[in-house]
Amino acid sequence: MSAVTQDTAVSTGRATRVFLYLILILFALFYLLPLYVMGVNSLKPLPEITGGNMMALPQTWTLDPWRSAWSTAQIGVEPTGLRPYFLNSILMVVPAVAISTIVGALNGYVLTKWRFRGDTWVFGLMLFSCFIPFQIILIPMAVVLGKLGLAGSVPGLILVHVVYGIGFTTLYFRNYYASFPTELIRAAQIDGAGFFRIFWRILLPVSGPIAVVSVIWQFTNIWNDFLFGVSFGGTSQPMTVALNNLVQSSTGVKEYNVHFAGAILAALPTLFVYIVAGRYFVRGLMAGSVKG
Amino acid sequence: MGFLDIRNVTKSYGQVEVLHRVDIAVEEGEFLVLVGPSGCGKSTLLNMIAGLEAITGGEIAIKDRVINGVHPSKRNIAMVFQSYALYPNMTVGQNMTFGLEMHGVPKPERDKALVSVAKLLQIDHLLDRKPGQLSGGQRQRVAMGRALVRNPDVFLFDEPLSNLDAKLRVDMRTEIKKLHHNLKTTIVYVTHDQIEAMTLSTRIAVMNKGHVQQLGTPKEIYDTPANVFVATFMGSPAMNIVPATLVIEGGRPQAAVTDAEGQVRHLRFSQPGLAAWEGKPILLGIRPEAITDPEGADRKSGNIVALRNRVTVTEPAGADTFVTMTLSGKDAIARMRADANVVAGQAFDFAVNMEKAVAFDPATEERIA
Amino acid sequence: MAATEADFRTKLQDWLPKLVLAPSFAVTLLFVYGFILFTVVLSFTGSKMLPRYDWVGFENYQKLFALPAWNTALVNIAIFATLYIVICTLIGLMLAIFLDQKIRGEGMLRPIYLYPMALSFIVTGTAWKWFLDPGIGLQRIMQQWGWESFTFTWIKDGEMALYTIVIAAVWQTSGFVMAMFLAGLRGIDNEILKAAQIDGASNWQLYRRIVIPLLRPAFLSAFVILSHLAIKSYDLVIALTGGGPGRATEMPATFMYSYTFTRNQMGIGASSAVIMLMTIAAIMVPYLYAELKEKKA
Repeated sequence: MSAVTQDTAVSTGRATRVFLYLILILFALFYLLPLYVMGVNSLKPLPEITGGNMMALPQTWTLDPWRSAWSTAQIGVEPTGLRPYFLNSILMVVPAVAISTIVGALNGYVLTKWRFRGDTWVFGLMLFSCFIPFQIILIPMAVVLGKLGLAGSVPGLILVHVVYGIGFTTLYFRNYYASFPTELIRAAQIDGAGFFRIFWRILLPVSGPIAVVSVIWQFTNIWNDFLFGVSFGGTSQPMTVALNNLVQSSTGVKEYNVHFAGAILAALPTLFVYIVAGRYFVRGLMAGSVKG
Repeated sequence: MGFLDIRNVTKSYGQVEVLHRVDIAVEEGEFLVLVGPSGCGKSTLLNMIAGLEAITGGEIAIKDRVINGVHPSKRNIAMVFQSYALYPNMTVGQNMTFGLEMHGVPKPERDKALVSVAKLLQIDHLLDRKPGQLSGGQRQRVAMGRALVRNPDVFLFDEPLSNLDAKLRVDMRTEIKKLHHNLKTTIVYVTHDQIEAMTLSTRIAVMNKGHVQQLGTPKEIYDTPANVFVATFMGSPAMNIVPATLVIEGGRPQAAVTDAEGQVRHLRFSQPGLAAWEGKPILLGIRPEAITDPEGADRKSGNIVALRNRVTVTEPAGADTFVTMTLSGKDAIARMRADANVVAGQAFDFAVNMEKAVAFDPATEERIA
Repeated sequence: MAATEADFRTKLQDWLPKLVLAPSFAVTLLFVYGFILFTVVLSFTGSKMLPRYDWVGFENYQKLFALPAWNTALVNIAIFATLYIVICTLIGLMLAIFLDQKIRGEGMLRPIYLYPMALSFIVTGTAWKWFLDPGIGLQRIMQQWGWESFTFTWIKDGEMALYTIVIAAVWQTSGFVMAMFLAGLRGIDNEILKAAQIDGASNWQLYRRIVIPLLRPAFLSAFVILSHLAIKSYDLVIALTGGGPGRATEMPATFMYSYTFTRNQMGIGASSAVIMLMTIAAIMVPYLYAELKEKKA
């Protein structure tokens, strides 16, 4: 969604406007509340949470919960902190995003500029795969990953995320390339450029915006995934699974401040992307929902 | 055998044949215009010459080499597209030489070709710009430049002027005509604009519903249209088509029509040989400029027939005044000099130049005289 | 010789696009449709911990619908999905309409409403889990601020825990629904609104009679996306309540996982997954079909 505002023809009175702002600000506070709670309490020593007020600012500011969450907290049975899992997530996300985006770009190119009989069906089948409940493929995937020797490994997770990500990336590039004039492709054909050359020299240089959308969408989705991580992660669990293990651990004292710090750590990469490129993030969301 | 031969070419999508047995031989240096309403198959035919659409039946040959199935880039053709199809990410210069680069032409040669074509089209100052920074007319020139640089056997134009405003369109039309005159290139040009077709072409193929209705010089097409479709499609305002009955009077065929008051009037044909149609209904075709006031009539014509009829509407258009009357229950338009003294609602003495009149069979709509 | 080579290259060019698309299509056929088939087959077998291929007919489905846990899950998903979709749509529509009134600071507010969508459900779950925890969260905050009698123990209460999931889920996605409606509002031709005002419509009538009916496509998209998210909801439940207390917040997604992987009832797990797929397909297939049809025309 672009930031274009249009003149709405609706006019409102003064009292109404005060009411509007009040509601809008109240909701802004509602959305910010959990972020505030996580932030403030991750900087407090534990007794200030258990004995004090969650909404209060820290009396003694401390970074210890962050240090603990990052490198020493008990995750499952090992006191490793979230660091190794953060690394797992990075190792998984980067190749998965790159591969699915490149494949999606090529698919979109074929489906719009080299149309063939039945292409809409091919696309429809790929598109539907974005929307299946993944529970339906959990069992066979576990079997296949086991057979391939990829169970519980980062490459296994990469494979899973690429397979179930190309539907979306194909959708993005297809819709984007659909509005790209086909005459340009024809002109390039007459000029003597072949399939890959046209893609490389003519289409790719103008694909920047949609590539950003695709990368951000895939990055957010894969980073935030829990189901595949917990099902197929094995010893290479991603960040989300580790965070859940940290929070749900039933042994010892509940270190709320460490949990909050861990939650922020898990949220930081996607939040960062959102803050830097929110415009593209929203565009990806919209493209994924309103296909028209 | 021509320079570009289109032999019995057909095109089908599945069961539907959209182009039926097209047969055209284009000579070297000819300017062939394919004209027709949208959906008539003219662009499909052009795309088949370009190799952008497969040929279902028949064959196309350039310089006696059959090019069915040959990749577009290996047919030695160049194409100017309706949207110009300039690569948005490349500069004007890169756009124009991309084809040469793809064909492995060394850079110095590319640059030489670029400079000479850019000079010819007066776009040498634009070579470092991106297409987005150009005006419509400039983009049009670049698109033509890209085609010229290739120095192909055949130039293909796909409605190249339809995205320009009216004034620029006329200028560019002249420009293209000049270019063709100077370079003597072979051109196949698609348009739906019959004026473009008339002004530019050495020959016109009028197409409708996948058939070539008539192939001929602009004058042949205009003066002796093969059928009612061609007659009404070419020319603006369109040729008047009036139902009539053929009568023979004094040994000469005449078209019997009724005027606004229901009176029968006879219009004498110049053509002989309509005897077989005596007493039968025909369609009389007269171009608006063949109906004038008596002073404005063509002095060289040997067959001016006077026709008194009531004027329905007059439409002054600056250079001409268009006058509408009722003939055999249909509106017929006359094209008068601007100062002709015509008043709506009153009777007026029209002069009909029957040398220019044609007749059609009402059943088949084919021309019979 | 040169001619045949050229022909080969031309033919290759004809085949290249299909060759490029083929791996993706094959992967989709295998990993999506092949796997679906596999799961459907398993749902008719007596598989326990590992896949087995002894045909048991509809036994798993009969067992499934006799299980109290599954019936709880169905009731829960019905309540959750209804509340989640309705509340998200209402909040989203309201915020969008309000934001569309030339609000100063719209550029600030919009990203605040939307950022939760960028977070993992696990993070959302963690934040709300502790914020709603009676021992340290909202209840205590209110009491410390002087409202001594304030109690809020939903998350520990079998009757109410489901609604805490609704709260967290609404928090996460209502901003997104707002963005969809806002895009819809901005797409409405302003002249229509002006015409309606000249016709004498009040603001309320303008929205009720003109604007909201014009937002139909946005409503449809919101409904499809939200129902799809609701049925798939797994992460949030795990992080927030873990399906508890007891079985109070069991959902089909958590049911499927626990029956398949921890209780070693793979056949029943598979049949529950099939039911989930059929539910989503019933919503998605007509929607996608209509979208693709429209595209073609």
